[in-house]
Amino acid sequence: MLGHTLVDIPDWNCCGAFEYGDKRKLMELSGENLKKAKDISKDIIAPCPACSRNLKESNEDSVFRVYNPIELFTREFLSGLKIERDLKGQIFTPYYGCVLLRPKETAIPDSNVMEGFVTNLGGETAGEKIKDRCCGGSQFFINKWATERLSRMIIEKSKGIILVFCPLCHMALTTFSKDERVVYFTDLLLYVAGERAHI
Amino acid sequence: MQRIDSNHMNERVFELTGYRREDFSVCLGCKICASVCTVNDLAINVNPQDILLSLFMGKAVDKAHPLFRYCTNCYQCTNACPWGIRIPEVIRAVRESLGMETLFERVFKGSVGIWGRVYEPYIFLKTGLFLAREGYLRYMPRWTGYMSFHLPKKVKIKTGS
Repeated sequence: MLGHTLVDIPDWNCCGAFEYGDKRKLMELSGENLKKAKDISKDIIAPCPACSRNLKESNEDSVFRVYNPIELFTREFLSGLKIERDLKGQIFTPYYGCVLLRPKETAIPDSNVMEGFVTNLGGETAGEKIKDRCCGGSQFFINKWATERLSRMIIEKSKGIILVFCPLCHMALTTFSKDERVVYFTDLLLYVAGERAHI
Repeated sequence: MQRIDSNHMNERVFELTGYRREDFSVCLGCKICASVCTVNDLAINVNPQDILLSLFMGKAVDKAHPLFRYCTNCYQCTNACPWGIRIPEVIRAVRESLGMETLFERVFKGSVGIWGRVYEPYIFLKTGLFLAREGYLRYMPRWTGYMSFHLPKKVKIKTGS
């Protein structure tokens, strides 16, 4: 869709997410991935917000350009997208969660990218107040009740389809939803581009 | 003795986070971190400043502080803090220093240590009893979209430690 060629980092390793108390160890894990990528490309793209955040932080000397894919879906790109379907009459709650928007140093530049896309295609957005609240995903295998309570709070304050761009948010909200639908933003892109039959 | 132990622990936290003791001297006690903390949504009152103050004063941190159990790493506190202090990283370092890791965290790191990645069947094997006992298995039907079996691939990590 974007016209780029994607190549896996050979022998890539886990970034450690938020599981390590030793910051140097965490930075080394992402530093190792950057080392493995250096002969392939200086543009690194990581679809998990924890991975892209750790990679950005590890890229201290700015040798690489590290992106979360949502940063490539710029308004220019989205306005140039071949649109087969609109979103008229549909309501969405764009939900960003934590790590895409925080901390500032590694946050995505446009915190309204999903809203802009939905409204441009005639859809309505809701849930402004909960877009940056935490789903508690990192507590899921520690204090399940905490994740359930935080995720339910987000779900209950949402309207229509909840749009996400984080695998952990997707899992937490899907696990604790009743009839509410939780959809990856990329699936919505494929739907409007006519490459997917349903949202 | 307690004093020596707490100093040793606090030094370890500074070493793990890269912060220096004086970095916390700027904390004004405004408690904005407490007001935005996600843990409030769990109806648990927390004040992250308690932890920073203990570290700055060279006192032992309270192991029973609810943030060591419930911090979600959401960085709301960091964004709100006038100094951008990365409290979740401090909390993680204290937890590691005090050996407060949970089973899941130990197994996650174990998998990264062995395979270089999270190998789900290994995690499942090691935490199966816990998952069954704590009622996680009933969510399995909702997780089918995330599941696939693959053989482990051992990757090389050449970090300093």
